[in-house]
Amino acid sequence: MTAAKTTPAYPYEGPQAMRGPVEEALQRVVDPEVAMTIVDVGLVYGVSVTDERLHVLLTMTSAACPVTDLIVEEVETELERIAPPAMRVDVELVWEPAWSSDRMSPRAKAFMGW
Amino acid sequence: MHGHGHFESRTKAAAIRLVLIPAVLVSLLAGVAGGLVRAGVTLPAVSAEWFDHAVLGHAFLMICTFMGTVIGIERAVAVKEPLAFAAPLASGLAGLLYLAGALHAAAWLALAAAAAFVAVNVLVVARQRAAHTALLLMGALAWLAGNGLFVADTASSAVIPWWFSFLVLTIAAERLEMTRLMRRRQGASQALYGVLAMHLLACAVSSVSPRWGGLLYGASLVGLAVWLLRFDIARRTVSAHGLSRYMAVCLLLGYFWLAISGVAWCLTSQGAAAARDTALHALSLGFVFSMVLGHAPVILPAIARVKLLFGWAFYVPLAMLHGSLAVRLVSHWLNLDWLATGAAGNALAIALFAATVAASALAWRARYFTSARSHDDAATAP
Repeated sequence: MTAAKTTPAYPYEGPQAMRGPVEEALQRVVDPEVAMTIVDVGLVYGVSVTDERLHVLLTMTSAACPVTDLIVEEVETELERIAPPAMRVDVELVWEPAWSSDRMSPRAKAFMGW
Repeated sequence: MHGHGHFESRTKAAAIRLVLIPAVLVSLLAGVAGGLVRAGVTLPAVSAEWFDHAVLGHAFLMICTFMGTVIGIERAVAVKEPLAFAAPLASGLAGLLYLAGALHAAAWLALAAAAAFVAVNVLVVARQRAAHTALLLMGALAWLAGNGLFVADTASSAVIPWWFSFLVLTIAAERLEMTRLMRRRQGASQALYGVLAMHLLACAVSSVSPRWGGLLYGASLVGLAVWLLRFDIARRTVSAHGLSRYMAVCLLLGYFWLAISGVAWCLTSQGAAAARDTALHALSLGFVFSMVLGHAPVILPAIARVKLLFGWAFYVPLAMLHGSLAVRLVSHWLNLDWLATGAAGNALAIALFAATVAASALAWRARYFTSARSHDDAATAP
Protein backbone atom coordinates (compact mmCIF):
# COMPACT_ATOMS: atom_id res chain seq x y z
CA MET A 1 0.00 0.00 0.00
CA THR A 2 1.24 3.50 -0.78
CA ALA A 3 1.36 6.19 1.86
CA ALA A 4 -1.88 8.10 2.29
CA LYS A 5 -1.78 11.70 1.22
CA THR A 6 -4.90 12.57 3.19
CA THR A 7 -4.73 14.19 6.62
CA PRO A 8 -3.15 11.85 9.14
CA ALA A 9 -5.62 10.10 11.42
CA TYR A 10 -3.77 11.24 14.55
CA PRO A 11 -2.77 14.56 16.13
CA TYR A 12 0.71 15.71 15.17
CA GLU A 13 2.80 18.29 17.03
CA GLY A 14 6.19 19.35 15.81
CA PRO A 15 8.11 20.67 12.81
CA GLN A 16 6.30 20.30 9.47
CA ALA A 17 9.50 18.98 7.88
CA MET A 18 9.27 15.82 10.00
CA ARG A 19 5.60 15.21 9.42
CA GLY A 20 5.89 13.46 6.07
CA PRO A 21 8.83 11.20 6.99
CA VAL A 22 7.14 10.18 10.27
CA GLU A 23 3.91 9.35 8.47
CA GLU A 24 5.77 7.31 5.86
CA ALA A 25 7.75 5.45 8.53
CA LEU A 26 4.57 4.56 10.41
CA GLN A 27 2.92 3.48 7.15
CA ARG A 28 5.72 0.94 6.69
CA VAL A 29 4.61 -0.99 9.79
CA VAL A 30 2.05 -3.54 8.67
CA ASP A 31 0.06 -5.90 10.85
CA PRO A 32 0.11 -9.08 8.73
CA GLU A 33 -2.97 -10.46 10.45
CA VAL A 34 -5.16 -7.67 9.08
CA ALA A 35 -3.01 -6.87 6.00
CA MET A 36 -3.06 -3.15 6.81
CA THR A 37 -0.66 -0.56 8.18
CA ILE A 38 -0.93 0.50 11.82
CA VAL A 39 -1.94 3.97 10.60
CA ASP A 40 -4.85 2.61 8.56
CA VAL A 41 -6.06 0.42 11.42
CA GLY A 42 -5.98 3.54 13.61
CA LEU A 43 -3.48 2.30 16.19
CA VAL A 44 -1.48 5.56 16.21
CA TYR A 45 -2.99 7.93 18.77
CA GLY A 46 -0.59 10.83 18.43
CA VAL A 47 2.91 11.98 17.47
CA SER A 48 4.92 14.81 18.98
CA VAL A 49 8.37 15.80 17.78
CA THR A 50 10.87 18.05 19.50
CA ASP A 51 14.59 18.46 18.76
CA GLU A 52 15.53 15.70 21.18
CA ARG A 53 12.48 13.42 21.22
CA LEU A 54 10.13 11.70 18.77
CA HIS A 55 7.23 10.54 20.89
CA VAL A 56 4.53 8.20 19.53
CA LEU A 57 1.40 7.10 21.34
CA LEU A 58 0.37 3.66 20.11
CA THR A 59 -2.47 1.33 21.06
CA MET A 60 -3.32 -2.30 20.25
CA THR A 61 -6.71 -3.80 19.55
CA SER A 62 -6.20 -6.43 22.26
CA ALA A 63 -4.46 -6.58 25.63
CA ALA A 64 -3.98 -10.31 25.01
CA CYS A 65 -1.90 -9.83 21.86
CA PRO A 66 1.50 -11.54 22.08
CA VAL A 67 2.79 -9.66 19.03
CA THR A 68 2.59 -6.24 20.75
CA ASP A 69 6.32 -6.05 21.57
CA LEU A 70 7.26 -6.88 18.00
CA ILE A 71 5.04 -4.17 16.56
CA VAL A 72 6.41 -1.60 19.04
CA GLU A 73 9.95 -2.61 18.10
CA GLU A 74 9.18 -2.37 14.41
CA VAL A 75 7.76 1.14 14.91
CA GLU A 76 10.93 2.11 16.80
CA THR A 77 13.15 0.67 14.09
CA GLU A 78 11.30 2.49 11.30
CA LEU A 79 11.32 5.80 13.20
CA GLU A 80 14.99 5.49 14.12
CA ARG A 81 15.76 5.27 10.39
CA ILE A 82 14.25 8.71 9.76
CA ALA A 83 15.05 10.46 13.06
CA PRO A 84 18.20 12.65 13.26
CA PRO A 85 20.91 11.04 15.44
CA ALA A 86 20.29 13.37 18.38
CA MET A 87 16.58 12.59 18.47
CA ARG A 88 15.41 9.87 20.87
CA VAL A 89 12.58 7.65 19.60
CA ASP A 90 10.05 6.92 22.28
CA VAL A 91 7.07 4.67 21.53
CA GLU A 92 4.53 4.60 24.33
CA LEU A 93 1.81 1.96 24.49
CA VAL A 94 -1.54 3.33 25.71
CA TRP A 95 -4.90 1.64 26.32
CA GLU A 96 -7.08 4.72 26.85
CA PRO A 97 -9.22 5.53 25.00
CA ALA A 98 -9.84 1.96 23.91
CA TRP A 99 -9.46 1.33 20.17
CA SER A 100 -12.68 1.14 18.19
CA SER A 101 -13.45 0.69 14.51
CA ASP A 102 -14.24 4.45 14.31
CA ARG A 103 -10.48 4.95 14.20
CA MET A 104 -10.03 3.03 10.96
CA SER A 105 -9.06 5.06 7.89
CA PRO A 106 -11.51 5.29 4.96
CA ARG A 107 -9.14 3.05 3.01
CA ALA A 108 -9.12 0.46 5.81
CA LYS A 109 -12.92 0.51 5.95
CA ALA A 110 -13.13 0.10 2.19
CA PHE A 111 -10.75 -2.90 2.37
CA MET A 112 -12.88 -4.51 5.08
CA GLY A 113 -16.05 -3.95 3.05
CA TRP A 114 -17.75 -1.20 5.11
CA MET B 1 14.27 2.19 29.75
CA HIS B 2 13.36 0.73 26.39
CA GLY B 3 16.74 -0.91 26.09
CA HIS B 4 16.17 -2.49 29.47
CA GLY B 5 12.74 -3.72 28.36
CA HIS B 6 14.20 -5.30 25.24
CA PHE B 7 16.93 -6.93 27.30
CA GLU B 8 14.30 -8.37 29.59
CA SER B 9 12.20 -9.68 26.74
CA ARG B 10 15.31 -11.22 25.14
CA THR B 11 16.22 -13.00 28.38
CA LYS B 12 12.65 -14.21 28.62
CA ALA B 13 12.78 -15.40 25.02
CA ALA B 14 16.00 -17.29 25.76
CA ALA B 15 14.35 -18.99 28.75
CA ILE B 16 11.36 -19.92 26.60
CA ARG B 17 13.64 -21.32 23.91
CA LEU B 18 15.74 -23.34 26.34
CA VAL B 19 13.12 -24.66 28.75
CA LEU B 20 9.60 -24.43 27.37
CA ILE B 21 10.11 -25.08 23.67
CA PRO B 22 11.92 -28.42 24.28
CA ALA B 23 9.04 -29.51 26.55
CA VAL B 24 6.55 -28.44 23.87
CA LEU B 25 8.44 -30.42 21.23
CA VAL B 26 8.59 -33.56 23.38
CA SER B 27 4.81 -33.43 23.85
CA LEU B 28 4.28 -32.82 20.15
CA LEU B 29 6.59 -35.63 19.01
CA ALA B 30 5.24 -38.13 21.52
CA GLY B 31 1.65 -37.07 20.85
CA VAL B 32 2.08 -37.44 17.09
CA ALA B 33 3.82 -40.83 17.50
CA GLY B 34 0.96 -41.99 19.73
CA GLY B 35 -1.56 -40.77 17.16
CA LEU B 36 0.20 -42.64 14.34
CA VAL B 37 0.05 -45.92 16.27
CA ARG B 38 -3.64 -45.35 16.99
CA ALA B 39 -4.26 -44.85 13.27
CA GLY B 40 -2.52 -48.13 12.51
CA VAL B 41 0.82 -46.85 11.24
CA THR B 42 3.62 -49.31 11.90
CA LEU B 43 6.48 -47.45 13.51
CA PRO B 44 9.99 -48.87 13.89
CA ALA B 45 9.76 -51.18 16.89
CA VAL B 46 9.81 -48.95 19.93
CA SER B 47 9.37 -50.99 23.05
CA ALA B 48 10.05 -48.21 25.52
CA GLU B 49 7.48 -47.70 28.23
CA TRP B 50 7.04 -44.01 27.41
CA PHE B 51 5.79 -45.06 24.02
CA ASP B 52 2.81 -46.90 25.53
CA HIS B 53 1.97 -43.76 27.46
CA ALA B 54 2.22 -41.69 24.29
CA VAL B 55 -0.35 -43.95 22.64
CA LEU B 56 -2.62 -43.93 25.68
CA GLY B 57 -2.28 -40.21 26.31
CA HIS B 58 -2.48 -38.93 22.70
CA ALA B 59 -5.30 -36.45 23.42
CA PHE B 60 -3.78 -35.31 26.73
CA LEU B 61 -0.39 -34.72 25.09
CA MET B 62 -1.73 -32.93 22.02
CA ILE B 63 -4.36 -30.74 23.71
CA CYS B 64 -3.09 -30.15 27.25
CA THR B 65 0.67 -30.40 27.17
CA PHE B 66 1.35 -29.32 23.57
CA MET B 67 -1.40 -26.81 22.68
CA GLY B 68 -2.00 -25.86 26.33
CA THR B 69 1.68 -25.02 26.76
CA VAL B 70 1.87 -23.11 23.47
CA ILE B 71 -1.23 -21.07 24.33
CA GLY B 72 0.07 -20.57 27.88
CA ILE B 73 3.36 -19.17 26.58
CA GLU B 74 1.51 -16.94 24.12
CA ARG B 75 -0.69 -15.46 26.85
CA ALA B 76 2.22 -15.06 29.30
CA VAL B 77 4.19 -13.13 26.69
CA ALA B 78 1.14 -10.91 26.14
CA VAL B 79 0.54 -10.05 29.82
CA LYS B 80 4.27 -9.54 30.55
CA GLU B 81 4.06 -11.01 34.05
CA PRO B 82 6.85 -13.50 34.88
CA LEU B 83 4.46 -15.44 37.14
CA ALA B 84 2.18 -16.07 34.17
CA PHE B 85 4.82 -18.49 32.87
CA ALA B 86 3.89 -20.83 35.75
CA ALA B 87 0.97 -22.09 33.62
CA PRO B 88 2.98 -23.25 30.56
CA LEU B 89 5.80 -24.46 32.80
CA ALA B 90 3.37 -26.69 34.69
CA SER B 91 1.61 -27.99 31.56
CA GLY B 92 4.93 -28.59 29.79
CA LEU B 93 6.22 -30.55 32.79
CA ALA B 94 2.94 -32.46 32.96
CA GLY B 95 3.69 -33.84 29.49
CA LEU B 96 7.11 -35.08 30.57
CA LEU B 97 5.66 -36.62 33.75
CA TYR B 98 2.97 -38.39 31.76
CA LEU B 99 5.50 -39.92 29.40
CA ALA B 100 7.62 -40.96 32.38
CA GLY B 101 4.63 -42.92 33.65
CA ALA B 102 3.53 -40.64 36.48
CA LEU B 103 0.05 -40.42 34.98
CA HIS B 104 -1.75 -39.24 38.07
CA ALA B 105 0.84 -36.60 38.97
CA ALA B 106 0.72 -35.39 35.36
CA ALA B 107 -3.05 -35.02 35.50
CA TRP B 108 -2.83 -33.04 38.74
CA LEU B 109 -0.08 -30.83 37.38
CA ALA B 110 -2.19 -30.15 34.27
CA LEU B 111 -5.04 -29.16 36.57
CA ALA B 112 -2.71 -26.75 38.36
CA ALA B 113 -1.58 -25.40 34.99
CA ALA B 114 -5.17 -24.73 33.97
CA ALA B 115 -5.87 -23.03 37.31
CA ALA B 116 -2.84 -20.78 36.82
CA PHE B 117 -3.97 -20.11 33.27
CA VAL B 118 -7.42 -19.08 34.53
CA ALA B 119 -5.71 -16.59 36.86
CA VAL B 120 -3.71 -15.15 33.95
CA ASN B 121 -6.92 -14.68 31.97
CA VAL B 122 -8.65 -13.01 34.92
CA LEU B 123 -5.80 -10.50 34.73
CA VAL B 124 -6.37 -10.06 30.99
CA VAL B 125 -10.08 -9.38 31.59
CA ALA B 126 -9.23 -6.92 34.38
CA ARG B 127 -6.96 -5.03 31.96
CA GLN B 128 -9.41 -5.03 29.08
CA ARG B 129 -13.09 -5.68 29.67
CA ALA B 130 -14.29 -6.84 26.30
CA ALA B 131 -16.23 -9.70 24.79
CA HIS B 132 -13.11 -11.32 23.38
CA THR B 133 -11.17 -11.26 26.66
CA ALA B 134 -14.20 -12.71 28.49
CA LEU B 135 -14.23 -15.47 25.89
CA LEU B 136 -10.52 -16.17 26.45
CA LEU B 137 -11.33 -16.61 30.15
CA MET B 138 -14.17 -18.98 29.29
CA GLY B 139 -11.74 -21.02 27.22
CA ALA B 140 -9.39 -21.25 30.21
CA LEU B 141 -12.29 -22.32 32.44
CA ALA B 142 -13.24 -25.02 29.93
CA TRP B 143 -9.67 -26.35 30.14
CA LEU B 144 -9.89 -26.32 33.93
CA ALA B 145 -13.17 -28.25 33.80
CA GLY B 146 -11.71 -30.82 31.40
CA ASN B 147 -8.58 -31.26 33.48
CA GLY B 148 -10.68 -31.59 36.64
CA LEU B 149 -12.69 -34.39 35.04
CA PHE B 150 -9.44 -35.96 33.80
CA VAL B 151 -8.01 -36.01 37.34
CA ALA B 152 -11.24 -37.62 38.52
CA ASP B 153 -10.72 -40.32 35.85
CA THR B 154 -14.03 -39.53 34.15
CA ALA B 155 -14.90 -41.16 30.81
CA SER B 156 -13.19 -39.55 27.83
CA SER B 157 -16.62 -38.78 26.33
CA ALA B 158 -16.99 -36.24 29.16
CA VAL B 159 -13.41 -34.91 29.14
CA ILE B 160 -12.77 -34.48 25.40
CA PRO B 161 -15.58 -31.95 24.74
CA TRP B 162 -14.17 -29.63 27.44
CA TRP B 163 -10.61 -30.00 26.17
CA PHE B 164 -11.63 -29.16 22.62
CA SER B 165 -13.79 -26.38 23.95
CA PHE B 166 -10.65 -24.81 25.45
CA LEU B 167 -9.12 -24.63 21.97
CA VAL B 168 -12.33 -23.68 20.15
CA LEU B 169 -13.19 -20.85 22.57
CA THR B 170 -9.62 -19.55 22.56
CA ILE B 171 -9.55 -19.42 18.77
CA ALA B 172 -13.08 -17.96 18.64
CA ALA B 173 -11.99 -15.22 21.06
CA GLU B 174 -8.99 -14.31 18.96
CA ARG B 175 -11.09 -14.21 15.80
CA LEU B 176 -13.85 -12.21 17.54
CA GLU B 177 -11.26 -9.55 18.31
CA MET B 178 -10.38 -9.39 14.60
CA THR B 179 -14.00 -9.22 13.45
CA ARG B 180 -14.18 -5.81 15.13
CA LEU B 181 -12.54 -4.52 11.95
CA MET B 182 -15.57 -5.63 9.95
CA ARG B 183 -18.88 -3.81 9.95
CA ARG B 184 -21.02 -5.82 12.30
CA ARG B 185 -24.50 -6.62 11.08
CA GLN B 186 -27.41 -6.29 13.46
CA GLY B 187 -27.66 -9.33 15.70
CA ALA B 188 -24.25 -10.77 14.76
CA SER B 189 -22.91 -10.58 18.33
CA GLN B 190 -26.08 -12.09 19.75
CA ALA B 191 -25.86 -14.93 17.24
CA LEU B 192 -22.31 -15.69 18.35
CA TYR B 193 -23.20 -15.59 22.05
CA GLY B 194 -26.11 -17.94 21.33
CA VAL B 195 -23.81 -20.40 19.56
CA LEU B 196 -21.23 -20.24 22.35
CA ALA B 197 -23.88 -20.69 25.07
CA MET B 198 -25.05 -23.78 23.20
CA HIS B 199 -21.43 -24.93 23.02
CA LEU B 200 -20.89 -24.67 26.79
CA LEU B 201 -24.23 -26.33 27.47
CA ALA B 202 -23.16 -29.14 25.12
CA CYS B 203 -19.94 -29.66 27.11
CA ALA B 204 -21.91 -30.01 30.32
CA VAL B 205 -24.60 -32.24 28.80
CA SER B 206 -21.93 -34.53 27.28
CA SER B 207 -21.03 -35.67 30.81
CA VAL B 208 -24.52 -37.04 31.40
CA SER B 209 -25.79 -37.80 27.91
CA PRO B 210 -23.21 -38.24 25.15
CA ARG B 211 -26.13 -38.66 22.72
CA TRP B 212 -27.69 -35.24 23.35
CA GLY B 213 -24.45 -33.57 24.34
CA GLY B 214 -22.74 -34.68 21.14
CA LEU B 215 -25.65 -33.47 19.02
CA LEU B 216 -25.58 -30.03 20.64
CA TYR B 217 -21.78 -29.92 20.49
CA GLY B 218 -21.78 -30.68 16.78
CA ALA B 219 -24.50 -28.11 16.10
CA SER B 220 -22.53 -25.46 18.00
CA LEU B 221 -19.41 -26.19 15.93
CA VAL B 222 -21.39 -25.86 12.68
CA GLY B 223 -22.90 -22.61 14.00
CA LEU B 224 -19.48 -21.24 14.88
CA ALA B 225 -18.07 -22.20 11.48
CA VAL B 226 -20.92 -20.41 9.69
CA TRP B 227 -20.46 -17.34 11.91
CA LEU B 228 -16.71 -17.22 11.29
CA LEU B 229 -17.07 -17.72 7.54
CA ARG B 230 -19.58 -14.89 7.49
CA PHE B 231 -17.90 -12.35 9.78
CA ASP B 232 -14.17 -13.07 9.95
CA ILE B 233 -11.75 -10.66 8.24
CA ALA B 234 -10.17 -13.68 6.49
CA ARG B 235 -12.72 -13.29 3.69
CA ARG B 236 -11.22 -9.85 3.08
CA THR B 237 -7.55 -10.48 3.84
CA VAL B 238 -7.47 -13.47 1.49
CA SER B 239 -7.41 -10.90 -1.30
CA ALA B 240 -4.20 -9.37 0.13
CA HIS B 241 -0.86 -11.01 -0.64
CA GLY B 242 2.10 -12.68 1.05
CA LEU B 243 1.79 -13.66 4.69
CA SER B 244 -1.63 -12.02 5.09
CA ARG B 245 -3.15 -14.10 2.31
CA TYR B 246 -1.49 -17.28 3.60
CA MET B 247 -2.95 -16.68 7.06
CA ALA B 248 -6.40 -16.10 5.56
CA VAL B 249 -6.17 -19.33 3.55
CA CYS B 250 -5.27 -21.22 6.77
CA LEU B 251 -8.26 -19.66 8.52
CA LEU B 252 -10.81 -20.31 5.76
CA LEU B 253 -9.70 -23.95 5.36
CA GLY B 254 -9.94 -24.27 9.13
CA TYR B 255 -13.54 -23.00 9.13
CA PHE B 256 -14.45 -25.51 6.45
CA TRP B 257 -13.13 -28.39 8.59
CA LEU B 258 -14.79 -26.94 11.68
CA ALA B 259 -18.15 -27.30 9.95
CA ILE B 260 -17.31 -30.84 8.79
CA SER B 261 -16.29 -31.76 12.33
CA GLY B 262 -19.58 -30.38 13.66
CA VAL B 263 -21.60 -32.56 11.30
CA ALA B 264 -19.44 -35.58 12.17
CA TRP B 265 -19.85 -34.87 15.88
CA CYS B 266 -23.66 -34.98 15.42
CA LEU B 267 -23.44 -38.24 13.46
CA THR B 268 -21.11 -39.85 16.01
CA SER B 269 -23.46 -38.96 18.86
CA GLN B 270 -26.24 -40.80 17.02
CA GLY B 271 -24.17 -43.96 16.73
CA ALA B 272 -22.24 -43.56 13.45
CA ALA B 273 -18.87 -44.85 14.70
CA ALA B 274 -17.24 -44.22 11.31
CA ALA B 275 -17.69 -40.46 11.85
CA ARG B 276 -15.77 -40.35 15.14
CA ASP B 277 -12.31 -39.91 13.58
CA THR B 278 -13.75 -37.04 11.50
CA ALA B 279 -15.36 -35.40 14.55
CA LEU B 280 -12.04 -35.44 16.41
CA HIS B 281 -9.51 -34.87 13.64
CA ALA B 282 -11.33 -32.48 11.33
CA LEU B 283 -11.42 -30.34 14.48
CA SER B 284 -7.89 -30.93 15.79
CA LEU B 285 -5.95 -31.17 12.51
CA GLY B 286 -8.24 -29.35 10.08
CA PHE B 287 -9.23 -26.48 12.34
CA VAL B 288 -6.72 -26.18 15.20
CA PHE B 289 -3.54 -27.17 13.34
CA SER B 290 -4.48 -25.01 10.40
CA MET B 291 -4.61 -22.09 12.86
CA VAL B 292 -1.21 -23.13 14.22
CA LEU B 293 0.30 -23.22 10.72
CA GLY B 294 -1.24 -19.86 9.93
CA HIS B 295 -0.13 -18.08 13.07
CA ALA B 296 3.28 -19.61 13.75
CA PRO B 297 5.01 -17.19 11.32
CA VAL B 298 3.83 -14.23 13.44
CA ILE B 299 3.75 -15.86 16.90
CA LEU B 300 7.17 -17.53 16.81
CA PRO B 301 9.02 -14.24 16.28
CA ALA B 302 7.07 -12.82 19.22
CA ILE B 303 7.67 -15.61 21.71
CA ALA B 304 11.02 -17.05 20.70
CA ARG B 305 12.60 -14.00 19.00
CA VAL B 306 13.19 -16.02 15.87
CA LYS B 307 12.55 -13.99 12.74
CA LEU B 308 11.15 -15.80 9.72
CA LEU B 309 11.22 -14.88 6.07
CA PHE B 310 7.81 -15.74 4.67
CA GLY B 311 7.66 -17.40 1.26
CA TRP B 312 5.47 -19.61 -0.92
CA ALA B 313 7.09 -22.71 0.65
CA PHE B 314 4.69 -22.32 3.60
CA TYR B 315 1.87 -23.48 1.32
CA VAL B 316 3.52 -26.91 0.90
CA PRO B 317 2.96 -28.21 4.46
CA LEU B 318 -0.46 -26.54 4.47
CA ALA B 319 -1.52 -28.40 1.32
CA MET B 320 -0.04 -31.60 2.76
CA LEU B 321 -1.99 -31.17 6.01
CA HIS B 322 -5.36 -30.61 4.37
CA GLY B 323 -4.82 -33.13 1.57
CA SER B 324 -3.74 -35.91 3.91
CA LEU B 325 -6.59 -35.09 6.28
CA ALA B 326 -9.05 -35.53 3.42
CA VAL B 327 -7.48 -38.92 2.58
CA ARG B 328 -7.61 -39.94 6.23
CA LEU B 329 -11.25 -38.99 6.71
CA VAL B 330 -12.69 -40.46 3.53
CA SER B 331 -10.89 -43.73 4.36
CA HIS B 332 -13.67 -44.55 6.82
CA TRP B 333 -16.17 -44.64 3.98
CA LEU B 334 -14.10 -45.77 1.02
CA ASN B 335 -11.11 -47.85 2.06
CA LEU B 336 -9.81 -48.25 5.59
CA ASP B 337 -6.33 -49.00 4.28
CA TRP B 338 -6.00 -45.29 3.55
CA LEU B 339 -6.38 -44.35 7.20
CA ALA B 340 -2.74 -45.08 8.06
CA THR B 341 -1.57 -43.38 4.86
CA GLY B 342 -3.58 -40.26 5.69
CA ALA B 343 -2.34 -40.21 9.28
CA ALA B 344 1.26 -40.59 8.10
CA GLY B 345 0.60 -37.66 5.76
CA ASN B 346 -0.70 -35.60 8.71
CA ALA B 347 2.53 -36.26 10.61
CA LEU B 348 4.61 -35.55 7.52
CA ALA B 349 2.81 -32.22 7.12
CA ILE B 350 3.78 -31.24 10.66
CA ALA B 351 7.39 -32.29 10.03
CA LEU B 352 7.43 -30.38 6.73
CA PHE B 353 6.09 -27.34 8.51
CA ALA B 354 8.85 -27.54 11.13
CA ALA B 355 11.41 -27.81 8.32
CA THR B 356 9.84 -24.83 6.52
CA VAL B 357 9.99 -22.74 9.69
CA ALA B 358 13.65 -23.68 10.22
CA ALA B 359 14.52 -22.89 6.59
CA SER B 360 12.67 -19.57 6.70
CA ALA B 361 14.54 -18.61 9.89
CA LEU B 362 17.83 -19.33 8.12
CA ALA B 363 16.63 -17.43 5.06
CA TRP B 364 15.85 -14.42 7.25
CA ARG B 365 19.30 -14.56 8.83
CA ALA B 366 20.97 -14.87 5.45
CA ARG B 367 19.09 -11.85 4.15
CA TYR B 368 19.50 -9.83 7.34
CA PHE B 369 23.23 -10.42 7.69
CA THR B 370 23.85 -9.87 3.99
CA SER B 371 22.02 -6.54 4.02
CA ALA B 372 23.65 -5.54 7.32
CA ARG B 373 27.06 -6.28 5.81
CA SER B 374 26.37 -4.40 2.58
CA HIS B 375 25.01 -1.56 4.70
CA ASP B 376 28.28 -1.49 6.66
CA ASP B 377 30.25 -1.64 3.44
CA ALA B 378 28.30 1.32 2.14
CA ALA B 379 28.82 3.18 5.39
CA THR B 380 32.59 2.66 5.37
CA ALA B 381 32.96 3.34 1.65
CA PRO B 382 34.89 6.56 0.93
